Amino acid sequence: MARKEKKRDVVIVGLGWTGSILGMELCNEGLDVLALERGGDRDTVPDFQYPAIADELKYGVRYGFMQKPRNSTVTVRRSESETALPYRHLGSFLPGDGVGGAGMHWNGHTFRPMAEEFQLKSYVEQNFGKDLISDEMAIQDWGISYQELEPYFDRFEKVAGIAGQAGNLKGEIREGGNPFEAPRSNDYPMPPLPQTVDSNKFADAARKMGYHPYPRPSGVASKAYTNPYGMQLGPCNFCGFCERFGCYQYSKSSPQTCILDALKRKENFEYRTNAEVLKIELAADGKTAKGVTYMDANGEEVYQPADMVILAAYQLHNVHLMLLSGIGQAYNPATGDGVIGKNYAYQTNGGTALFFKDIDFNPFVGNGSNGHVIDDFAINRIDFGAEGFIGGSYISSGTFNGQPIRSMRLPGGTPKWGAGWKSAIKEWYGHSMAIGSHGSNMSYHTNHLDLDPTYKDKYGRPLMRMTFNWKSNDIRMTQFMKSKIEPLAESMNPDIMQSSFKKEGAMYDVRPYQTTHNVGGAIMGSDPKSSALNKFLQTWDVHNVFVMGANAFPQNIQYNPTGTVGALAYWAVEAIRKDYLPNPRPLV
Amino acid sequence: MSEENFKLSRRRFLQAGAVGTMLSAGYSASAIAQSDTPHLSDYQPEYFTAAEWDFIVAATDRLIPADGEGPGALDAHVPIFIDRQLVGSFGQAADWYMEGPHDPNAPAALGYQSPLTPAEAYRAGIAELNTWCKENHGAVFAELEKETKDAVLTSLEKGDIELADTKGANLFDLLLQNTKEGYFADPMYGGNHEMAAWNHIGFPGARASFREWVGIEKPYPLGPVDISGKRG
Amino acid sequence: MKKFVKFLAALAVVGLVVIGLIIFLPVSRTAPQTNVAGDYTTTNGHGEYAMRMGDCMACHTADGGKPFAGGRPIESPFGTIWSTNITPDPEHGIGNYSLDDFRASLYDGIEPDGTRLYPAMPYENYRKLSEEDIRAMYDYFMHDVEPVNEAPPKTDLGFPFNQRWGIRVWNWLALSDAGHEDLYDDTVLNRGAYLVDSLGHCAACHSPRSTIFAQAGKNAEDDRYLAGGVIAGWPAPSLHGPQSAPAKWSHDDLAAYLWTGRNSHSAVAGEMTQVVGDSLQYATDEDMNAIVTYLRHINGRGEDKTTLDASSSNEPTETEKLLASADPSMPLGARLYLDNCNACHFVNGKGAPEVFPSLDGNALVVADTAGGLLDVMLHGARMPSTEKRPARLAMPGFGDRLSDEEAAELATFVRQGWSNDANAVSAEDVAAARSKSSGTHH
Repeated sequence: MARKEKKRDVVIVGLGWTGSILGMELCNEGLDVLALERGGDRDTVPDFQYPAIADELKYGVRYGFMQKPRNSTVTVRRSESETALPYRHLGSFLPGDGVGGAGMHWNGHTFRPMAEEFQLKSYVEQNFGKDLISDEMAIQDWGISYQELEPYFDRFEKVAGIAGQAGNLKGEIREGGNPFEAPRSNDYPMPPLPQTVDSNKFADAARKMGYHPYPRPSGVASKAYTNPYGMQLGPCNFCGFCERFGCYQYSKSSPQTCILDALKRKENFEYRTNAEVLKIELAADGKTAKGVTYMDANGEEVYQPADMVILAAYQLHNVHLMLLSGIGQAYNPATGDGVIGKNYAYQTNGGTALFFKDIDFNPFVGNGSNGHVIDDFAINRIDFGAEGFIGGSYISSGTFNGQPIRSMRLPGGTPKWGAGWKSAIKEWYGHSMAIGSHGSNMSYHTNHLDLDPTYKDKYGRPLMRMTFNWKSNDIRMTQFMKSKIEPLAESMNPDIMQSSFKKEGAMYDVRPYQTTHNVGGAIMGSDPKSSALNKFLQTWDVHNVFVMGANAFPQNIQYNPTGTVGALAYWAVEAIRKDYLPNPRPLV
Repeated sequence: MSEENFKLSRRRFLQAGAVGTMLSAGYSASAIAQSDTPHLSDYQPEYFTAAEWDFIVAATDRLIPADGEGPGALDAHVPIFIDRQLVGSFGQAADWYMEGPHDPNAPAALGYQSPLTPAEAYRAGIAELNTWCKENHGAVFAELEKETKDAVLTSLEKGDIELADTKGANLFDLLLQNTKEGYFADPMYGGNHEMAAWNHIGFPGARASFREWVGIEKPYPLGPVDISGKRG
Repeated sequence: MKKFVKFLAALAVVGLVVIGLIIFLPVSRTAPQTNVAGDYTTTNGHGEYAMRMGDCMACHTADGGKPFAGGRPIESPFGTIWSTNITPDPEHGIGNYSLDDFRASLYDGIEPDGTRLYPAMPYENYRKLSEEDIRAMYDYFMHDVEPVNEAPPKTDLGFPFNQRWGIRVWNWLALSDAGHEDLYDDTVLNRGAYLVDSLGHCAACHSPRSTIFAQAGKNAEDDRYLAGGVIAGWPAPSLHGPQSAPAKWSHDDLAAYLWTGRNSHSAVAGEMTQVVGDSLQYATDEDMNAIVTYLRHINGRGEDKTTLDASSSNEPTETEKLLASADPSMPLGARLYLDNCNACHFVNGKGAPEVFPSLDGNALVVADTAGGLLDVMLHGARMPSTEKRPARLAMPGFGDRLSDEEAAELATFVRQGWSNDANAVSAEDVAAARSKSSGTHH
């Protein structure tokens, strides 16, 4: 029999970026807010403090800040015909764990999508014809426009303290920024950081080819900064321990640096750690949630009543909890019915490495968001009809770290061990750079999430099953990027050059790290038949449950998702405050 | 010797003296920073049996040999690192999902599917490989000639030698990955003795502070520091 | 010989009589200094605000303890003094205090039973309180504070400091007249002086001590007034004189420091962390303006609101050039700076405004007493959370990473780097600082 706790106005599941944002804004509204975080508590000092944080093995290789698959994982298969097997140790993607979530160990790339990406299906149909969208594709419009979201991108950029350079300020194109971006109402709150050797060389080469390099918008501070909550960031020192690490320098935008100390001051806010929500409890009619059941730090089951439940866990866990709780109808790929679990998508990346015997790059001088970017081959710059695919990529170069276990780039053909390897690491460490493409990934009827029939988690709940594979549309897209990157790389005259882009027939491989940009599964849209959430991230079926995060993306954008996740959170909480709270009901 | 040359060499002498003073200060003054790692030959393995230890020493010595510039795996105390990792959470798969059913014939791209922990996989794999070596070369791995060892490792890497007892775990991949980890990880884990591997490639270790070096295209001259504060 | 013994005996008798007089002479308690109507009632919030400005909480609340229940250890040169329970609990607190009893504790340092408080209770300063503030605080403590039925540890100093009658002699010698006298023709300056001298009791730490350990310098006409002190090995920097922060910093920087514990030059550490966290962050705009205006006025900066920056040159210093070179032959102190400090404080030693304090020109770094610097280096420091700046920005301690010799080299390097010119620190100094537990981790 579960222990019952005092009812709260709001329960938030997960205390990462979106949980912190919702907590702050709903506390400011005067609501009594409880956040339940299944991982441990974390603060800059002591958890990220120097020098203990500068430990590649513990955090970079053994994933010290990540979710432990023993506590929570998924099973994976590439097709309906394969038997899904557990993702037993981390590789391809790294969900976060603990207070701050993945928002404390990310790299800080903070983009806004192209305006066209929010209406991707309509954009393709209107400009290139319906036939370009193949039968296997499941792409949709988001049910929201860039114009509607613009003030909330602005808000998130100010709270997170993003450093960058506007390229399109209210329609005026600005030198040095991204000329292809959608218009912004304000410049970034901080100027860009200085750039490393590789980033500058890439920008020079790109300019010579007529492209438009701009500094990567960065959740890594270029100077001392105070955000609208009075929270502070310090200037980055290019320590080279960014992604997978907590920032010891108060430089990386995170719930810790941007929100949590301000939130913890509020008397109407409480958070509990090591509190794993097992299920959202629904009222008998299934139209509202009554609260959640969670397992506390002592292993005791607790029923926590609440007037409102905010799912703010990682994308995979939000979808998992919805499937386990019976919120919305589970998606069935055979019939196309149901919405929970559909449109899972990932990210289509590739890259070219360039080796220069005589250039010293000092690769340990880096930060997670360093680099120059070109958007000359972005989604709104490509003639999909002519090229025969839907999608686009940004292309960039910069140094995030020079950690030797995980970032030892060597020319192809170098022995993997022995005397040849030992001499090669000396010869080539610090003498290479890379140009990468970071691209969209379309949604498909057969890429989806559901509950696994065999494997269970430590509470006896079915694991979630991921069915995902690469599709030829996206492979054509990434091969197109290869054809653009290689001439650019060649123009820089490297001694050695080698490319790595997915080829036709590529199968998803869970072993190498690719990206933690898992999206979809509980998508937003304008029709309850084809989406799980309305445009305010409210579940269609249970009106007092709102779901934050990248699970709302109907297909993946060509950019890193956090900027959009943050903007959507501010957009949704504004609707909750102004429209939902005065009259709780389905908002659409 | 001309006056000018004398001055130059005297200045150099003083600089060398300063470096010497600094380095000696690094060792003598920093009692806290002293490593408690015993020398490889004095080390008592916590996980490995004597036979397993002989294999690990012999195999890592081939994966990163001592010859040529830079430390070998044994100079770097890599076997100590691996032994400690296997008694720790890594070796015990403490963070991994280990529930069955396990499919040893799963596609490699679906990741680790063995029911064995890394520590168990090492134990099973070393025993089976030593048996293979005895059957095929008349002696356990550690007693083979260098060239034969390299040939065995190459066959293992390519999958020409299949180890059934690891139940799907790949001994070679584990060993190579752990060897490189031990070579480059902070010395507090037992390997990368005296930060020699960091010095070899020019990685400044745990310094983690380079604002004044951003965009500077010349070799960074200063040696590494480790987490304990020891200077290398 | 006998005569001499007799003389000694006589002397002893006289001495005992004197002591007897000191002990038993009836206590006279200072009367109210202003006439306040008998039916005077305090306005809502006045008492709590006066408590905040008086910072009763910092001393009378233990780490993790209930508010005002006492039990915080206060280190003095004579031993540890434990703060008392000032909740309205009748048994262990001040529940039975009359207004006159309450006033006597603030003005005269006397409990109702005649027990004398150690001057760790800053009645040297509180005796300047207005009657209105006393009444408001009395009202607050009696009605708005939760009673706590807990006895804090008893203060037990060694002989002769356990003979509390001695405090009476000290009081005769040390205390000035009760009540605050307005010295200025300006309400802002008078309010500032009142807050600094009475409620704020700044001089309790920031004043040098006379030979009898009394606060030296009673007002700004005396150079010793607020000219800096030493508290438990920590420097409490001078607030008076050309090198003091109020003389150098802009009006806004000084206000930011006092409100938030951080500004574009520096950040609080040590005891001042609590002063900001428990007291100054609550100052109203008017009062903060008064405090800052007054402190700058006594340093001749009344009109000018700007920063006097001695090192405004953008030319890199020799220290900066050495650090930026990453030259392996650099001296040990510089190398240790790169390995431990450079990340946040940077090669120019200037840190970053409000986040990483500047080491160049920092009062704590260059103080004659290196104890504060060493404490921060070894044990770390954390800024208080305040309404305006909620982030509890922290520096970790480096005590585990630095030997005594290394810490001495490093401290000497930062005390002599850039434009700093303070004396060297020895390994023995570090060993002494290391052995002290730090009071800065909250």
